[in-house]
Amino acid sequence: MSDDRAADLIKRCAAQDRAAFRALYRGSVAKLMGVMLRILKDRAAAEDALQEAYIRIWQRAGSYDPAKGPGMAWLVAIARNLAIDRLRARAETLNDPGPVATGDEAARTQAPIPAPEEVCRIGDCLATLEPDGAAAVRHAYLDGLSYLDLAAQHGVPLNIMRNRLRHDLLKLRECLDQ
Amino acid sequence: MTGSLLSPREHDEVLAAEHVLGVADQSERSATEARMRADPAFAALVVAWERRLAGLNDGFRHGPSTDLLPRIEARLFPLPAVAAAKAGRGQGLLRWLAGMAVALALFLLGIATLAPPRPVLVATLATPDHRLAYEVRSFGPTLRVTRTAGVPAMEGQVHELWVIAPDAAPVSLGLLDARPLEVDYPVPPPGWILAVSIEPEGGSATGLPTGPLILTARLGDST
Repeated sequence: MSDDRAADLIKRCAAQDRAAFRALYRGSVAKLMGVMLRILKDRAAAEDALQEAYIRIWQRAGSYDPAKGPGMAWLVAIARNLAIDRLRARAETLNDPGPVATGDEAARTQAPIPAPEEVCRIGDCLATLEPDGAAAVRHAYLDGLSYLDLAAQHGVPLNIMRNRLRHDLLKLRECLDQ
Repeated sequence: MTGSLLSPREHDEVLAAEHVLGVADQSERSATEARMRADPAFAALVVAWERRLAGLNDGFRHGPSTDLLPRIEARLFPLPAVAAAKAGRGQGLLRWLAGMAVALALFLLGIATLAPPRPVLVATLATPDHRLAYEVRSFGPTLRVTRTAGVPAMEGQVHELWVIAPDAAPVSLGLLDARPLEVDYPVPPPGWILAVSIEPEGGSATGLPTGPLILTARLGDST
């Protein structure tokens, strides 16, 4: 679904247009299911979170501002945020050590992200970081890894991981805002 | 670089970035969300980071197909009470009911065109001593919730209204502050529950009640 189409449908949802909501669901569910499944790993948990995401999307459609970003990015942000909340809540209740570390090699050899301009920019900017740092950012964003998970994966103490990532995030901002 | 070397501005930037990246633990996430509600300048930093990192969204592959739309719609737009209660009975009865419904609808339309819709009491949410009470009334497609006794939540907190379908998670209908709440929502079918919880200012950040449920009302079969 193109961004203009998603933005238009979100605006119509804000006006209580249920047909627009159906169209928005059909045009975005595959992507958002991909987000949920990648972060939560488990199909039932992903479907449950996905239902909540669409309920939130309908309820918050009025707060969407096209000036602040494309429609699809807004939908993905809601889905990711919800998935990460669920993941952290799960880790806390089960005292779960988090997803199994996949090792630096797996993180580094992840397929490079394709095309559009924005993607190139973040790709270029990530390339200015140390490979470990870039992998950490990408891994946290796409797989929902916490500082604790990242520290275990990179074999460094938590405070070192935190300081390194913070340093990289500030560097990334400088590059992306150029 | 250590955390202590960050300027306050850098510290906020890092906090916003960490929130979007999702690396913080649950208590830090809740604290950041509370800050976003209270501090629009900080919330703008978070939005800016969402934008910066959105280029990574292409890394999410499409998931397997799943049709959750009926379940989502059932929660967002519950069927009118009569249709929900009668669904699943015999076809003949259903057809007869449909015929009756059309006749009734035409009759009601006649009345409706003569008189404006009157508010119908859907539920009363009150403490046993009635020191705090909310009335939920329906105006056509809209519910209006008015506090009829008591005071709003104390400063820094807010009452949040939820609707709970059988065996489903609560769905927020909105925040109850000084003014009556109006929300486009049909009258929930019998067996559904309306509830009020105490939440931090700005409402629950998780989409589910986080504070105690102080008032509940189950919709009766007569409503």
